[in-house]
Amino acid sequence: MSSTKRTNSLGSQIGPFLMDQRAFVALIVLICVFWSMSDTFLTVTNVIIMTKHVAYNAILALGMLLVILTGGIDLSIGATMCLSGIVAGALLQNGIALNFMDKVGYPAAWAVIVFALAIGTLVGWINGLLVTRFGVAPFIATLGTMYMARGTALIMSNGVTYSKLGGSHELGNTGFLLIGSSKILGVPTVVWVMVVFAVAIWILTARTPFGRWLYATGGNERAAALSGVPVFRVKSWVYMISGFCAATVGVCMVSELTSVNGDLGTSFEMNAIAAVVIGGASLAGGRGGVKGTLVGAFVIGFLADGLVNIKVNTFWQTFIKGLVIVLAVILDQAQEKLKNRRAAAAAAASVRTIAAGTQEEAPQATTTA
Amino acid sequence: MTKPFKASLVAVLAAGLALAAGCSSSTPTNSSTSSNPATSSSSATTTTTTGGGGGGLIAVITPAPSNTFFKAESDAAVAEAQKLGYQTQADSHDDDANKQSQLIDSAIAKKAVAIILDNAGADTSIAAVQKATDAGIPVFLIDREINQAGIAKAQIVSNNAQGATLGGTAFATAMGGKGKYIELTGLATDTNAGVRSNGFHGVLDQYPDLKMVAQQAANWDQQKAFSIIETLLQSNPDVTGIISGNDTMAMGAVAAVKAAGLEGKVTIVGFDGAPDAVEAVKAGSMTATVMQPAVLLAQMAVQQADKYLKTGSTGQPEKQSVDCILIDKTNADKYTLFGLSS
Amino acid sequence: MSAAVTAPEATPAGEDGKVILAARAITKVYGGTHALRGVDFDVREGQVAALIGENGAGKSTLMKILAGVETPTTGTILLDGEPVTFASPTDAVAHGVAIIHQELSLCPNLSVQDNIFLARETTNGVIVDRRGERAAVEALMARLEEPISPDTLVGDLSLGQQQLVEIARALSEETRVLIMDEPTSALSAAEVEVLFRVVRELTRDRVSVIFISHHLEECMQLADHAVILRDGAVVASHAVAGIDIAWIVRNMIGREQDELYSDLPGVPGEAVLEIEGLSVADPANPNRIVVDNVSITVHAGEVVGVYGLMGAGRTEMLETIAGRNKALGGQIRLGGRRIDGMSIGERIQAGLALAPEDRQRDGLIPTLSVARNMSLSSLPRITRHGLVSQRAERGLVAEQVVNTRVKTESQGALIGSLSGGNQQKVVVGKALMTQPKALVLDEPTRGIDVGAKADIFTLMATQARAGAAILFATSEVSEALNAADRVIVMARGHITGEFDPKNTTQEQILAASDVDQGV
Repeated sequence: MSSTKRTNSLGSQIGPFLMDQRAFVALIVLICVFWSMSDTFLTVTNVIIMTKHVAYNAILALGMLLVILTGGIDLSIGATMCLSGIVAGALLQNGIALNFMDKVGYPAAWAVIVFALAIGTLVGWINGLLVTRFGVAPFIATLGTMYMARGTALIMSNGVTYSKLGGSHELGNTGFLLIGSSKILGVPTVVWVMVVFAVAIWILTARTPFGRWLYATGGNERAAALSGVPVFRVKSWVYMISGFCAATVGVCMVSELTSVNGDLGTSFEMNAIAAVVIGGASLAGGRGGVKGTLVGAFVIGFLADGLVNIKVNTFWQTFIKGLVIVLAVILDQAQEKLKNRRAAAAAAASVRTIAAGTQEEAPQATTTA
Repeated sequence: MTKPFKASLVAVLAAGLALAAGCSSSTPTNSSTSSNPATSSSSATTTTTTGGGGGGLIAVITPAPSNTFFKAESDAAVAEAQKLGYQTQADSHDDDANKQSQLIDSAIAKKAVAIILDNAGADTSIAAVQKATDAGIPVFLIDREINQAGIAKAQIVSNNAQGATLGGTAFATAMGGKGKYIELTGLATDTNAGVRSNGFHGVLDQYPDLKMVAQQAANWDQQKAFSIIETLLQSNPDVTGIISGNDTMAMGAVAAVKAAGLEGKVTIVGFDGAPDAVEAVKAGSMTATVMQPAVLLAQMAVQQADKYLKTGSTGQPEKQSVDCILIDKTNADKYTLFGLSS
Repeated sequence: MSAAVTAPEATPAGEDGKVILAARAITKVYGGTHALRGVDFDVREGQVAALIGENGAGKSTLMKILAGVETPTTGTILLDGEPVTFASPTDAVAHGVAIIHQELSLCPNLSVQDNIFLARETTNGVIVDRRGERAAVEALMARLEEPISPDTLVGDLSLGQQQLVEIARALSEETRVLIMDEPTSALSAAEVEVLFRVVRELTRDRVSVIFISHHLEECMQLADHAVILRDGAVVASHAVAGIDIAWIVRNMIGREQDELYSDLPGVPGEAVLEIEGLSVADPANPNRIVVDNVSITVHAGEVVGVYGLMGAGRTEMLETIAGRNKALGGQIRLGGRRIDGMSIGERIQAGLALAPEDRQRDGLIPTLSVARNMSLSSLPRITRHGLVSQRAERGLVAEQVVNTRVKTESQGALIGSLSGGNQQKVVVGKALMTQPKALVLDEPTRGIDVGAKADIFTLMATQARAGAAILFATSEVSEALNAADRVIVMARGHITGEFDPKNTTQEQILAASDVDQGV
């Protein structure tokens, strides 16, 4: 490595570097393009607001990343978001009917949040159970739970929009709306939530034994199992974490919108998958990381908000989003090929110089090899 | 081999059970409701085919009940039909033309005497309505028209153009005839999105000092409307008005305006007359909403169906439109679900 | 083992046979490594050329280039003296050059006939001419003297028969040069005999054969000419008539074969791994018992070899010991403690490590680096306060890289950039890193070269001397006799013999492995 740096010119290095960081480069390009087209794009407040919009998809994508690293997929997150939001809305607005006392109990806001998060984790647990114990393919299992979670949310809400989520002092359940409206150090709480999730999941994937298990399970499940990796436990956990992430997003979003109905989060799973893929993860499992996923979420989010900011027609917005996803994947393939071709060319060159046998050239050639 | 197979079989069964459980518990919302006890249930089964006097099955097919509007519409039709002594079956086609077609098939198979339909698309629904008519079942369309006359027995819709004019006028008045505004439009494939937008502009474009700084489609969706408005308020901080193609998007705008600390400084007008929007009007965070008389539409359709079954004619032209009502602070207290108490 | 008898009538022209296919100055570069450096190679009409070399020496690469699977980075291929470029394997086949890969490329769900004519079905315009195809297949099978029905599903055939179907497919299209990459590695002795007979018949019909095998005895028996590759270059080339195995080994690795097996005597201590009355059902077919009431005890410091033919139940037994399969009955004890109820991970913690047979399928994670593959089973050892200590990991991996003599550019290199033998060392290194009391290895030398084999046997012996109990399975009699302190022979799920290798002949072992073949 070090010798390559010495012998190669700066120019021949920039190409591979840019390819390697392509998602990040794409983000910079996006920012520059929008910056040149709108004075209000790169203002502090707008960047904060865009980051807040990104935060939702980023948290979902981080959960999705873990699932994708094991070679699975979680289609249920949009519906899980909705279910958690509906549960929170129902508890805040209607409370719990306590039949034995003929009264209605209103849990405190923190208890509502804990319960909503638990519901999301429960959906994830069911996903994990279906995938491990019952051997259902992840796509099918989570497709099923997607409909079940969405259906449960509709049944519970009966089509009603819950909009009285502020609680009241008499009932002692105020404070729920703080998550969506409060700021810490001038930055919305939701953005801090994203930061916490990103750091936690980065540590989980990059620094813990669990992270090693994840990558191993996605890379070769049989070999991982024979190496002592508790494959079933790993899979159960990733779906639970994904469900927890979805519930977190549901709670935050409902708090911000100050109302919730059964349509919340429809097709959000697609944005999360797109962020993970743009970030360089492989749907086959075993490849990908937190940094890439975050960049992917920022690319999608900044693109969407930037297009609104410069008032591009909605239909074109949809088209452009699709185009970016396809380009990202094409670049991913191109990078693999380029990497192989460059290595082959360098090594071939060294062989030729060895064959020529000139004493001066030989040592130099070996350093490039 | 056999072990995973068994496991997946169990999973399928479990899922089936879960679905079954889900269905039974949802009975009050959208499954068939038994006939009014007044008109003994024994006659119901025998009189369905005759279709003459009261009794028989009326199928009510509407878009997703997750939207309060459609739910109110469906509930009103069911209630009215039961009042008139019919059995009812309420289903949702979720704006899926294919599912709508299947529901029509099933209504035909059950020998329904009439179908009340809020259809899934002006063009895609023509064939489905024709199919029912060919099978001898009269179809009464509510809320949305189809692009062909002479098939359905009645097409009763709220007057979206008139409603949009009402909303546009209220918006212009509240704005004082000047200032910058944003328009949120609905799903472009939905006829009403265009009709409402045109109705708004019919009024607003007459005010030279009212300037539209952005028009974005938020596809009837609250979260999308929220993030669009939040973004647009950054590039256009001097916006003083938001006019929205439906209440769901208007509620997203309300939340975004509130988050930006502009509550009370921005005029917001919606469309539909949804309960939470009316609450917002009462609370002052929204200026007005245009109420579609969903309950009235549904009741009219059922009454005309009843008349048609008994006399062979509705006594009304096929196309009928019912005026919308503006809900603002002055009359919000009288609001009942998609209707006004007198 | 000196040079085996060659077939003199098959080499009438010796060195002077007409060269059909020739490679000139072929170079091939993958990633950053040269698989081949300026290789010259001749194929003579009606002769068998044995291509011999360690894993990673470049044999498979050269064959893939000759068969059009890969294109050379530099160099030319001459066919009948004319330069040719094979754009694809199909193109090569059209020129009369066919390859039979180590991993067979047949569809098990199709019949023999459909496989032979796959992707080149003969039609009467639209409809497949099944009768014509069938006649052709029957003729081919008659030529191979193998009575396999054209309608048999390939999945129902034995591996040896499947190999013959591959050969039949190659023969069905006017093949002049047939390349066989490790054709015998999965065959029984009887099946190898059939294969050799077929190859000799082919050469009589003036077909040239390139034969790759790790079994040097086989090369000596079958080939007319031996070409030896080392590190991507041809280091020696000679008519088989004038050489012996020692010469081949010397050229392959630069040392004598006697050094292959370590001479460290084990001093058996107390019982470490005790298997008592173990019975296992076939995971794919629970009605079939593949291990029937087997008891084995392995002591500290002892190397026990389990010899058996394919289907003898070795792999199933070892995988059950490691915890992948559930036992039907019996006990497994490690250091006196029962482990049969434990998960794989718990058994590893308890001190039992398995190096599985199929490294690609069961041993390695292709997306991970050398270091992360090696440390995967030992994460508890390198975890501090819940986090993986990368410094501790680097230290332990470096230790194992030296210990197992893995040749790798760096710890961070992708596992796929290593040669087969080095990958196998990583698998063994992974097991050793867990500091096992008992080490179980399933065919640890399958598909790897002589040098790597020697390294692995040395490792086993060193571990035993350090007090570990070693249990390994093999399908090579010489390995069982030379590497083990005690040889257990299995057949059809039973133990059929136990031998002290010091006074046992290969014939005795073979006889034991075949005892109840008729059952």
